[in-house]
Amino acid sequence: MTALMSTRALSRTLPTEPPVTLVRNVDLDIAAGRFHAVIGPSGCGKSSLLYLLGLLDRPTAGTVLFRGEETNTLSGDERARLRLEQFGFVFQFHFLLPEFTALENVLIPIRRLGRLNGSAMADQALAMLDGLGLAGQAGKTPDKMSGGERQRVAIARALANDPSLVLGDEPTGNLDSGNSAHVIQIFQRIAHDQGRAVVCVTHDPTVAAAADVRIHMLDGAIERIE
Amino acid sequence: MLARVRLILGIAVKHLAKRKRQTAVAIAGVGIGVGFFLAVSAMMIGSQNDFVQRLISSAPHIIISDEIRSPRPQPAIRALRGTTVEIQGYKTRNEVRGIKDWQEIVQAAEAIPGSIVAPSLSGAVTLRVGGREEPLGIIGVDPSIEEKIENVQDNMSAGTFHDLETTQGGVIITEDLAQRLGVRMGDTVGATSAAGTRSLKIVGLFARGRGQFGNNGYVLLREAQSLTGHPFIINRIGVSIPDPYAAQTVAANLEDRFGYKAQSWQERSADFMTLLLTRNVIMYSVISAMLLVASFGIYTAVSNSVVDKRRDIAILRSIGFSQSDLQRVFVAEGIILAIIGVVAGWAIGTLLMQILGSIRFPILGRVEHLPLDRSARQFMIAGLSSLCAAAIAAWLPARKAARVDPVEILRGAA
Ligand SMILES: Nc1ncnc2c1ncn2[C@@H]1O[C@H](COP(=O)(O)OP(=O)(O)OP(=O)(O)O)[C@@H](O)[C@H]1O
Ligand SMILES: [Mg+2]
Repeated sequence: MTALMSTRALSRTLPTEPPVTLVRNVDLDIAAGRFHAVIGPSGCGKSSLLYLLGLLDRPTAGTVLFRGEETNTLSGDERARLRLEQFGFVFQFHFLLPEFTALENVLIPIRRLGRLNGSAMADQALAMLDGLGLAGQAGKTPDKMSGGERQRVAIARALANDPSLVLGDEPTGNLDSGNSAHVIQIFQRIAHDQGRAVVCVTHDPTVAAAADVRIHMLDGAIERIE
Repeated sequence: MLARVRLILGIAVKHLAKRKRQTAVAIAGVGIGVGFFLAVSAMMIGSQNDFVQRLISSAPHIIISDEIRSPRPQPAIRALRGTTVEIQGYKTRNEVRGIKDWQEIVQAAEAIPGSIVAPSLSGAVTLRVGGREEPLGIIGVDPSIEEKIENVQDNMSAGTFHDLETTQGGVIITEDLAQRLGVRMGDTVGATSAAGTRSLKIVGLFARGRGQFGNNGYVLLREAQSLTGHPFIINRIGVSIPDPYAAQTVAANLEDRFGYKAQSWQERSADFMTLLLTRNVIMYSVISAMLLVASFGIYTAVSNSVVDKRRDIAILRSIGFSQSDLQRVFVAEGIILAIIGVVAGWAIGTLLMQILGSIRFPILGRVEHLPLDRSARQFMIAGLSSLCAAAIAAWLPARKAARVDPVEILRGAA
């Protein structure tokens, strides 16, 4: 099975004095249809690795390959395009745009992509919300929703353009166990049923237990993969 | 593409709607700037047009006089050009006053299509009434021709220009002069010149405040010729042409051909034209300052918006917006503010013009209104320059939005 995304000797060092190495020589393969958990002590570089995988940050050494293609040479606009079409991010805090309703938040990536006409866009966004049990929340702004609902809206937005890779940074970090279980279930579904690759940075043992692949990090490097 | 523009505008509008006070301040800045721009320029351009219109209509566009700018070389110099000789007891020859061959010049000027040519004679006399004396520059004219090149009648407060033709020895002088001499309409005054004394009858008066008439008075051409003892002589030819702005070129042509000084209205009003230029420089400086101040409001609003929305910028970048998308969002905010401000400014400007236009100024018995220029051109200039200034004012902070590093924000928030 070929990897959807792989890294080779991936390193990220901050040009501070003295230099701080956040990610050290990481070789990793991310497979479609699988749920990967990245675990390790706080400050070991999990988030930093995730930003590199999501092409939000550029490595100082090594490469990230997406579908076998080198991404280092892509321009900022080309990386933005890949994020728009292929990646979906979910963060610990919901990170919805506060002025927009749930529906509008989910519509933003769809409208930016601009592949559908107006009513088809709204249909897709509604379907997205519906699939996550949020049909009743469509018209609400984030401040009128519960934490769990907001996080699910954020997931709906991440899935809006049908991405092949979903990246989560402690998506359950702020949720109670019931809502966490719901999110874990969603992540399993989008990996196993929808064939997407899911990479989820987490401290939560239940998330780690639910994952197909556990990537243990220590001090910026990969300790072991199970 | 269109969907993207609408999305970017939608985000910009949401940002602005959230920050109502800053938005209102920025819009008010542009609105007041544009409004006063329109009011000031309406007054400045309106009064300028009014002045120029008066200049053009109150006197002939070109006046050819019997003066010569560079005197003809004296006969001896002409005869002995290029040699060095010593001449003793040489007598300089005086040029004869009056325009020689004036009929030829009149013909040449009349050859210009649509032109009107009026020959006249001006000279100096002294008016005497019961021991009081006042100098008077008399201009001898043919009223039926002169009235076509010079707006005399409108400046008269009593009598008509044509009364000169019907009254033997008629003269029109200013009200001021009449008052100084203690005479009224219909009175007779004595006029003395080198050629003798005659009596003139006052048949018309120029209204006060018409400075251009000064100490001048109008008589019939014949009368002036006999008063000054210069029968058949002409020393001034007034020419009006269909395009007043061509006066300078036409005047230069006539002067080249005939040698006599031909002055266009622009040349005669050179001081005034310089004054207009100064006024325009002042006006545009004030206007630029207003636009600059309005731009500060937009700069501040957009700058603060960028700082406030750093988190949103990071979110949008992670979703897949490019750096230039983010820059466009914030430039759009500035332009939206400017568009609303310009429309408000147009309304304020129209209102101010309405108020200015309704003010009545009683000047020396006449009620005058401010001359205002309400042309669409000023509205366009005000609108476009505000938009450009706003685009620049918004673009500067918008570049910062594009440079926000999403990773830095995400790390900070996590
Ligand atoms: N600007 C910076 N200057 C210096 N060190 C930094 C800077 N940014 C991050 N670091 C360090 O880099 C390391 C990796 O950070 P990262 O956020 O990737 O860790 P993490 O594994 O996600 O931690 P956590 O589980 O707490 O989220 C940390 O030790 C952090 O202190
Ligand atoms: Mg982290």
